[in-house]
Order: sequence, then C-alpha cells, then structure tokens
Amino acid sequence: MGSVYRLTLRQLSGRWRLAIMTALAALPVLITLLTLASDDAPSVSDYESAILGAMLAGSILPLVVLAIGGAAFGNEVEDRTLANLTLAPIPRWQIALPKLLAVITVAGPFIAASAMLSAHIAFLGDGRATLAVTLAALAGVAMYASVFVFLGLRSSYAVGIGLLYIVIWEGFFSGFVSGVRLLSIRYYAIALMHALDPRRFADADSLPAVAAVVAAAIVTGGFFLLSVRRLRRMDVP
Amino acid sequence: MTATPSVADIRPTTCGFDADPASAAAVIRVDGVSRWFGSVVAVSDVSFDITPGITGLLGPNGAGKTTLLRMITGLAAASTGTVTVFGEPVRDNPPLYRRMGVMSEHETVYGFMKGREFVRAMGKLRGVADLEGAVDRAIALVDLEDAQHRSMETYSRGMRQRMRLAATLVHDPDVLILDEPLNGADPRQRVHFKQLLLKLKSEGRTIVISSHILEEVEQLADNVLLIVNGKLAASGGFRAIRAALNQRPYHVRVVCAAPRELAAAVVTLPSVDAVHVDPDGAVVILSRNVLDLQVEIPRLAQRAGVSLRRVEPLDDSLESVFGYLVEG
Amino acid sequence: MTGTVFDIGYQHYTGPREGRGRSRRAVFTDGIRTALGLGRGGRAKILPWLFIGVLSAIALVMALVAGAANSFAGPGSAEKMNLPSHSDYNGIASIIMFVFAAVVGPELLCPDRRQGVIHLYRVRPFTGTDYIAARWAAFLAVTTLAVWLPQVILFLGLSMGDPAPMEYLRTHWLDIPKFLVAGIAMAAYAATLGLLTASFTTRRAYASVFLVGLFVISVPFTVGVAEETGGKLGEWISMFNLTNIPVHVNDIIFGEVSEVTEDAPARNLPPWVRVAWYFAWTIIPGTVLWARYRRLAP
Repeated sequence: MGSVYRLTLRQLSGRWRLAIMTALAALPVLITLLTLASDDAPSVSDYESAILGAMLAGSILPLVVLAIGGAAFGNEVEDRTLANLTLAPIPRWQIALPKLLAVITVAGPFIAASAMLSAHIAFLGDGRATLAVTLAALAGVAMYASVFVFLGLRSSYAVGIGLLYIVIWEGFFSGFVSGVRLLSIRYYAIALMHALDPRRFADADSLPAVAAVVAAAIVTGGFFLLSVRRLRRMDVP
Repeated sequence: MTATPSVADIRPTTCGFDADPASAAAVIRVDGVSRWFGSVVAVSDVSFDITPGITGLLGPNGAGKTTLLRMITGLAAASTGTVTVFGEPVRDNPPLYRRMGVMSEHETVYGFMKGREFVRAMGKLRGVADLEGAVDRAIALVDLEDAQHRSMETYSRGMRQRMRLAATLVHDPDVLILDEPLNGADPRQRVHFKQLLLKLKSEGRTIVISSHILEEVEQLADNVLLIVNGKLAASGGFRAIRAALNQRPYHVRVVCAAPRELAAAVVTLPSVDAVHVDPDGAVVILSRNVLDLQVEIPRLAQRAGVSLRRVEPLDDSLESVFGYLVEG
Repeated sequence: MTGTVFDIGYQHYTGPREGRGRSRRAVFTDGIRTALGLGRGGRAKILPWLFIGVLSAIALVMALVAGAANSFAGPGSAEKMNLPSHSDYNGIASIIMFVFAAVVGPELLCPDRRQGVIHLYRVRPFTGTDYIAARWAAFLAVTTLAVWLPQVILFLGLSMGDPAPMEYLRTHWLDIPKFLVAGIAMAAYAATLGLLTASFTTRRAYASVFLVGLFVISVPFTVGVAEETGGKLGEWISMFNLTNIPVHVNDIIFGEVSEVTEDAPARNLPPWVRVAWYFAWTIIPGTVLWARYRRLAP
C-alpha cells in the first residue's frame, strides 16, 4: 500500500498545484484579518455563514478536493496507467485506500491550516472553537475526497458532475430548498462544527451531533466501498 | 466446411520444443468466451488452450485481439464463458497476478519517474523479494542499464517499451501476456527481443504475444491463434493450418532449364489444378496435394531430362495464410 | 537490379478542393457538436443539456410564479411586487452559466492539444488564428443559446401568463432586444474566459475547476473586503467580483439594478466605467487566448 500511496502523492503534488492551494488557503485568513481590523466586527453567525460557510466550506474546500480527488483515479484512467496498479496481486481496497489517503494528505493540511488560522484569529484564540472548525474542515475534506475519488474512477465527466453538485446542488438549491441540506456534505461538516463547540455555535440550527457523525461516516465509508467495488468490476483501460 | 475455415486444435510439430500433448497441460484455458459492447460483438464464442511456449495471437485490426487479451488478463470481463489461468478464474483474483506479467499496448508511463524507479515500483507492488536484485536483472535483460537513472520522459519510444517490458518481467512471472510488444522497436531491438523471448520460453514459461508483425510471430511462435471478426479462425502451427486449408491450392514455383517441357509434363498430373510460366521463365504450379508434387516433380523432370534448379513453395508463410483467411 | 512500380489503381482525390472558409466552417461546426454532445452518443449530451435544462427551468419557474401572482393578486401585480424578471435573470443564472462555460469550454480545446490532434489541423492551410476564431465562435454560439433560450421561455411564459397576452407583447416588446444584447454580453464573457483557462492546461478537469474556483471564490472575497473598506476603494474592489461584471452591463441595458447587484458597491460607479471594465475583461482575455494559439506550429 505504501507504494501506491507514495506514487499518488507524487502524481498529485505539482509545483503549480501546491502554489495555487497555498494562495487559496491564505484567502480566508486574509479576510478574517481584514474583518477584525475594521471597526464593526460581524457576529458569529455572520462570520460563520460568510467566511466559513460560503468561502471555506462552500467553495475553497470542495473545489480543491475536487481537483485533487478527481485526479487521483481520473488521471490514471485517462492516461491508461491504472492497469499498472490493478495488475498487482493485492486486494482492491489496498489500491483505493492509499489513493484516498493521499488525496487527504495533499489537500488536508492546506484546508486545515486555513481553517485553524482563520478561526484562531476570528475567535480570538479560543481553543475549542478553533479545534471545532479545524476538525470539521478535515471531516469535510475526508467526505469530499471519498466522493470525488469514486467519481474520478467511475466517470470521465467526474469534474462536471462534481461542479454541478458543489455549485448547483449545494450552492444554488440549498439557498432555496432547506431540505437539500440533509443530503449535502457541506452541511454535515458545518453540523459537526456546531456539535463540537455548542457554546459558540449555539444559535445555529443544524443536524444533531450524532446524526452528523453518522452521516460523515456513511459518506466517507460508503463511497470508499463503492470505489473498491468499482475497481473489482470495471474494465480497466 | 464453412466459408471461413475453422480448424480445431492441431498439435504443432515444430522443432525445438517438446510438443507431446500429454505433458503440456493447459496453462490458460479459454472456454466459450464471448464479449459484446451493446449490440457490437467483439469476441464470439472463442475456446482454446494455451500451453507453455510461445503462442502468437494474430488478426486484423478490430478483430477482437486486444479484447481477448484483456479478458485473458482479467482486465476486462467476459460477457459469457470462462477464462482460467493455472486452473483458477482470472477475473477478480488478484493473487493470480503474482504469476502473470502483462504488457498492454498503451505506451503511457509515469513521466515523472526515472526508469529504474518505475521498474522498482512495479516490483514492489508485486511483492518481489530481493527487490534491488530483481530490478537489476530485469533492466539487464532489456539492456537499459545506462538509461535507468534518467526520467522516462526523455526515453525514445523503443526505450520506453523495453523499460515497460522490464517492469513486466521484474517479478519473474510464469505467464507473460504481451500486447503489441514490438511497437516502435528498431531492427536491432527486434533481434534482441526475439532472443529474450526464446530464452524465457526455454525456462518453461507460457508466453502469449499479439502482433501485427507477422515475420516475428512466424519465427517465434510455436502455436498461432488467428482471430477474425471476433471468431477463432484457426489455431495450431501455421504450416499445419495451411495444410488443413486444402480448399486453397498451393503455389509451387520451379526454376529449371526447360520450363515449357516441364510444364507440359506436370499438367498431366491429376493433383495439379493449373500450370503457368511466369515472366521470369519459371514454372508456377497450382496444386492441392503437395506431397504428391514432392514425389512427382523430380520423377517427371528426370523423365523429361530437365534439370531442376530450384523448387520453392510460394505460400508457405504466415502472411499468405493470414491473407487467405482474412480476405476470405 | 531493376525496380518496377505497379499500377494498382491508386487514385488521387479529383474532386473540388475548397478553401480556408470551408475549414473554418468545419471546425466551427465541430465545435458546436462537441459542446452540445451532438453525434457523440448519449453520455456526452447529459452534462450540457442538463445545464441548459436547469437554466430553462429557472426561467420557467420565474414565469409561473409571475403568472400565479397575476392570477391571484390581479393583473400587473407581478411587476408591482417587483418579482424577478428579465433584468434579474442574468444575475440569478450567472453562476450556473459560468459553471457551464467552465465545464464545456475545455472540451473544445483541451482534447485536441492533449492528443496531439491540433498539429493535424495545422498541416492544412489553416492557421492557429483560424482555429481559435472558429472554436471561439462555436462556443459563443452555444453559450448564447444557453442564455437566450431561457429568456425566450421567460418572455413567452410571462406573456401567456398575462390575461391579455397581446397587450403584454405590445407594452413589453422592448424587453426582447434588451435581453438579447444583455445575453450576448454574458455569453461572450463566459465563453472567452472559459476558453482562456482551457488554453493553459491540457487536462480539462484542472481548467474547469480553476475557472469555477476563480468565480466562486472571488464573490465572498470581494464582497467581504469591499464591505470592510467602503467608499471609492470599496466600489473598485467590488468590481473584482467576477460574476457581476456582465451583470452590471445587464443593469445598464435594462436601466435598473437587478436583484443580484443591488447590494454591490460597484453599482455606484458611472455606467461607462462599468461597460469599459466589462470590455476590458472580455477583450484582454480574448487577446491572450488568440496570442496563445496564434503561434501554433504544425
């Protein structure tokens, strides 16, 4: 498994990619600094919905994970190098798992750093709030990674589908139809954040803690299992 | 006999290999395998056994060779039928890959890797013991020691093929499946490759090569599988296939001192369909029974007092077999 | 040793040979077919037509809501209640439009470069400029379709939902040229940017995500920063909200601020500034795109 992991790490980290991710990770931090520098600081819910909800969780997190996660298997299928891995005498989950872990390893630190710094600055050093935001962000990375790694394996239109999901399902419709939240990774992650620090995010209405954790586990584990299944049943190019 | 001659298994009798059928148990068994994509049938009810030695898989483009190979390697599923390697189903059976080495027709590699890194990574994935030693041996086999520390992006096409072959051999597989392995190989590499394959065969391995380069396959393969339009059109040694195609007469060309006298004598033979004299003055005989010709030509020549300079069959190459079967 | 070449009947093409115009048209047509998935099997059609479907559905819903308002609260009440209409449509649908451009645009440029087919184009008397112009024109046609179709549906829906359709037509016919021009402005902007990002990479996935990221992330960033800074600087920062650039033009054409831009500080800038800004963000990317393809060698 180590070789697949290391191979994928090399495939996914290019100079440009890392530079862009650094820039993206810096944006929420910058805004948070600016917000604090101004006279009227927004309320917790305002900050949460604008910066954490819309910017970080709503766009930067899922898009970064889409680019990296979709490429994990997607590039191999497109380049026809997947057979190098599937022709190895190892169980298929030992191919899917290191791929998923590599995606989380590449995207995770940037997102986590961004979340941690922004929250630390915004909440004036409150440890628990910072931890809540960071862990929720990482959970979001894991969930999106699992879904997009599967999508990259399953379809050559993975990016289109992923963008449709992020921008239209989570972005557009959830603004109009609140029921959409029950089927939305973004809201699971946000619910986890609320659950981890109820004092700070007390006024929010979202899924209860247990439901959020279960949802996160089901999404991450379920799509991982789908990837393994697909590896076993597909015609490898 | 149907329009496209289907020849059931004919055991080869070529030299240099123990062709006793009883001792050569099937390593790869394909049984009633078909594969369709929607309404297009790519492979249609194909059955054969592959034994140790070199088997050539031939056929025109689009005949279903690659699909068939992919089913043999487990990369693609068969719509019906079974494919077994060493008695085990090959699909969804990763441990079997320890004994199989596969080289696909696609040439893409991980460009960011150096040659040695690539072979090493593939070896590691396949659980090779003494990794460094195995990598050294594999790279030496393909004669790329000098280039192994360069990035594969800088390799020529032929070098990339050879490094991929090294990666296929690094775990010392018993079965080798090579899809168009000579793509982009120059003549020197072809010779080297042939020697390599013969060496591997002498070690008792089972090798299946798919190729368009008929000369190589003709010289290398003990057994030939001819796939046309998704069906198995012929299998066996190509000479045996040719002999079985007795619908098609043989052309034999005779160079002699007095062609017209010989022609006049030969045309009286009942086994001869036609005789003509070609522009160079040689006699070309069309016959359905070469064995008879083998006896009769010298006899007739002697009786007519014509000295024979050269007798050569015109059809005895895989190319012509191929041509006959493919063009129908 | 003599050699002979036999005549086996090889024939040169003796039919008419058409000129560059024909090649341009061919690349243009191929561009449209690729973008819309025509002649490429069912799978290729799903994404583009799904987007067009969603865009049209939004227009349909808007028309139905207006019609319902009219029938429940009396004629003309839709306008009185200031329900979303033509002028608001571009703003509401803009992000979907941009995702459409980001997903479909790379299909037109990236595969040709990735698979090396682009060099085949250059073997014929067909320049890089011809190629990119034909591709851009094709994509513009498709994005324009994606913008106009919903607006036409909206117009038809509004006029049929009105108790006196012919009256509605007479009073509102000016909406038609307005939304047509505003639509083309939106389409040109989206098409040019969509193709520009695609010209920088050979993997479609990266081009798509990068463009969407650029749009989606610029929104909360500029909104947040503009709110903090305020004043003239805030207005200019708000101008970097990439999704709003064509919507400002839309506002100017319709003469009223749309729902999406009513909070944007940039709306306070004079119209000529906003229009010039739009042209800058369309022509400069277009020029860069042209420059990248101009020097394409065979």
